[in-house]
Amino acid sequence: MTFSLRADHVSPQRSTLHLHGRLDAMTFGQFDAAAADVLHQMATGSTVVLDLSLLEYISSAGLRSIARIRKAMRAREGHTLLCNPQPQVRKVFEIVKAVPVNDVFASVQELDDYLDHMQRKIVDGLGEAD
Amino acid sequence: MALRSIASRLALGVLTGTALVVVAGGYLLFRAMGHQILEQTHRESADLAHDAGNRIEQRLDKITDTAQMLAALVGPRPDDAPSLVHDAVQHNPDLAGLSAAYIPHSAAALAAGQSPFVSRGDDGSLTTRDLLHDPAPYWDRPWFRHGLTCTTGCWEQPFFSLSRHRKLVNYSATIMAGGQAVGVLNADVTLEWLQSVLESLKKSPGTRAFVIDQQGNYLASDDPSLVGHPVQADVLSVLRRSPADPLRLVTSQHAQITEPVWIYQSPIKGTHWLIALTVPESSIYADVRQAFLLALMVGGLALLVLTVMTFAITRRIMHPLGVLTDRAEHVARGALDFALPKVRRRDEVGRLTDAFDRMRTELAQHMAELTRVAREQQRLASELEIAQQIQTALLPGAHYLDARCKNFELHAVLKPARTVGGDLYSYFMLHDRRFYIMVGDVSDKGIPAALFMARAITLAKALAPRARSPQQLLHLLNQELCRNNDGCMFVSLLCGLLDTVTGNLALASAGHEPPVWWGQHAPRLLELDTGPALGLDEEATYPTHRIRLRPGETLLMYTDGITEATDHAMTMYGQERMLACLTRQVAEGGQDPVDTLVADVEHFAAGQYQADDITVLALRWHHDGTEREGSMLDITIGASLTDVFDTLERCDEEMLAAGVEPDVQSDVRLVLEELMVNMVEHGSGTTDDRTIELRLTAADDAITVELHHDGQPFDPLQSPAPLLTGDIADTESEGGLGIHLVRAMASDFHYAHDELGNHLQLRFIYPNRPEQDHDLQSAS
Repeated sequence: MTFSLRADHVSPQRSTLHLHGRLDAMTFGQFDAAAADVLHQMATGSTVVLDLSLLEYISSAGLRSIARIRKAMRAREGHTLLCNPQPQVRKVFEIVKAVPVNDVFASVQELDDYLDHMQRKIVDGLGEAD
Repeated sequence: MALRSIASRLALGVLTGTALVVVAGGYLLFRAMGHQILEQTHRESADLAHDAGNRIEQRLDKITDTAQMLAALVGPRPDDAPSLVHDAVQHNPDLAGLSAAYIPHSAAALAAGQSPFVSRGDDGSLTTRDLLHDPAPYWDRPWFRHGLTCTTGCWEQPFFSLSRHRKLVNYSATIMAGGQAVGVLNADVTLEWLQSVLESLKKSPGTRAFVIDQQGNYLASDDPSLVGHPVQADVLSVLRRSPADPLRLVTSQHAQITEPVWIYQSPIKGTHWLIALTVPESSIYADVRQAFLLALMVGGLALLVLTVMTFAITRRIMHPLGVLTDRAEHVARGALDFALPKVRRRDEVGRLTDAFDRMRTELAQHMAELTRVAREQQRLASELEIAQQIQTALLPGAHYLDARCKNFELHAVLKPARTVGGDLYSYFMLHDRRFYIMVGDVSDKGIPAALFMARAITLAKALAPRARSPQQLLHLLNQELCRNNDGCMFVSLLCGLLDTVTGNLALASAGHEPPVWWGQHAPRLLELDTGPALGLDEEATYPTHRIRLRPGETLLMYTDGITEATDHAMTMYGQERMLACLTRQVAEGGQDPVDTLVADVEHFAAGQYQADDITVLALRWHHDGTEREGSMLDITIGASLTDVFDTLERCDEEMLAAGVEPDVQSDVRLVLEELMVNMVEHGSGTTDDRTIELRLTAADDAITVELHHDGQPFDPLQSPAPLLTGDIADTESEGGLGIHLVRAMASDFHYAHDELGNHLQLRFIYPNRPEQDHDLQSAS
């Protein structure tokens, strides 16, 4: 098995997908199928986090899969955030300018801080609105 | 020095010629005039002599007439004798004395009673005496005895009268009476008048006159001292020889005749005397000689004047010529800027001066032109030299030893027939395994060929990375060279592509000589199918010929400069000699077939002009390299995703085993995946039996990937770059990302397509290691 996907903390507001192994022309279908299951459950304005810590390798087929996830989330007015890409993956992302820099985080901690900050902003905003 | 000038020679010539004519003419004239003068002198002198003779004769006639008349008178009348004698003496001054001497005791003597003798004294007084009373009896004297016999009168010998101190001559006439001689009438005649007659003659200077008597003594002479003396024997003999004609006496004992003289004589009638004139020859000719001398002097002066004038005129005429001569020497020294003499008139010299001026002008133009051309040629020569350097720089080194794995070695030589030539050879490494070699020969020679050669060799090198095979390289090269090739230049080219790992060699020939191949067998020609020469037919195709070089084998490529080298008998070197030479070389175990072959050709064509460029390139396959660079993978797979990913796994394993750095490894994997998946998805078309051939090679500094796919032509390099917005979710189509990644990651990327399909070559240079340029690498 060269690729596996583990979904973590799946909730309509926020889900994390842990990618493991190689995401390439051989495995992107598997990833697409698994991701689709999670995406179904996502609510409008929710966030999907792709944890790339264990993703060794990505090819254009994998990029296209990630693009499809981002498009689907965008349709839900949600966000797709990427976390901790490994060197090969980061290099590929840089070459094709796959995602905005703001959407890539170096570590889970950084991502969590960002999400908490966003959460607070939303809450504060709601409070002010109230 | 003086005779060197034409003027002086002309003057001398004129002088000599005229002098010769004058002298010769003068001589002839002198001879003719001399003759005339001589004739005239002869006439005049003869007349003079004759005239003098006549005058003397007349005077003597008077005396003889008187004497004879007296003799006739006193014969019958002796008593009248004294008075008659006295009167006769008184009336005739020439008589110094007159006597009528009778025979003593004769009747006449008795009748006369005396023998009267009247003599003239020195003072002119006459004295009379009777001879009978003389103490010495006259009748015994010779004059008397002789006188008795002279009935018609006789002239006696001259004698010097002591009593009267003068020279006298007697004239005797017999006195006849009664038919008998009764006495002698004797006249003493003076001779002074004779002398004065001679002196009164109109003689030319030097002429002498004299009278001689019958005994040959001088009666009278210009030189009184001679009178009475005998005439010199030779003169006398001349006088007596032929009395009528003028005579020439050359020398004489005569004291006064020291030079040739002419003698003229005339007899005095009634006597036996002669009057003679001697005229010195020199005095005859003196006048004419003097005249001639004068004429000669005038002539000489005229000659001198003529010579000087000739000299001056010639000098004047020749002066411009002298200047021209001087200027011509200037011209010879290269100086053309000088003044020419002014043309006075349009004679030959004037025309010559004009022509000289024109010549000078044209010569100057010509020289300027020549200088310009020479400078131009010098410039061309130096440009040609630079061109040669540039052309030489286009050629790689003469020896190449595969430094990496020592699998092969290459020797090459190019000897242009002129400064620059149309032959070419080249070799260069493409990435790690592919090594191109080529030998070519451009039609024609010289600069056009050199330029075309430069174009061909540069294009070949530029196009080589795009060509997967020599066949394709020739095809591309042909198309490029056909472009704008109005000059219809063409190049024959033999091109080889060597797999430096396996020794596989693909050859394609564009009308080139077949290469020679030996090693496993004796040298032999490797006959290939060839296409047309490059640059002629845009549609031409070039078949590939593949061989595999075994260790120790050599492939030798050459141009027709080798086979068409000719010896002095115009025999061509030919392929047989080449093969024989190479066979010898192999047998002798020589290392460098190129040098051996070229040396043999040079020996064959020794002394002959090298007509064509000579190029030889020998490739020897050693196959003894330590395979530091090696093929990690060389497989052919079916065009399916499964096979592709299996292969990718194997690639990972190989690269891991070869110690390829992980980042390079993942780059290679990504690129291979993108390309092969592309081939599987897009290239297969309808058929499923497509294959993908992959060769993965590692070198010191890079990894080389070769991918061959027999599917639809697809050049990843031509696909458009994807629109990168910074978010892949922005674009509708995700296509092009893979190719973009490939292009970004591979250090080198080449695509080619031929009848075998698509050919891709990629290179991944290890980071942190400087890239080495193999093409320029050549072992010295």
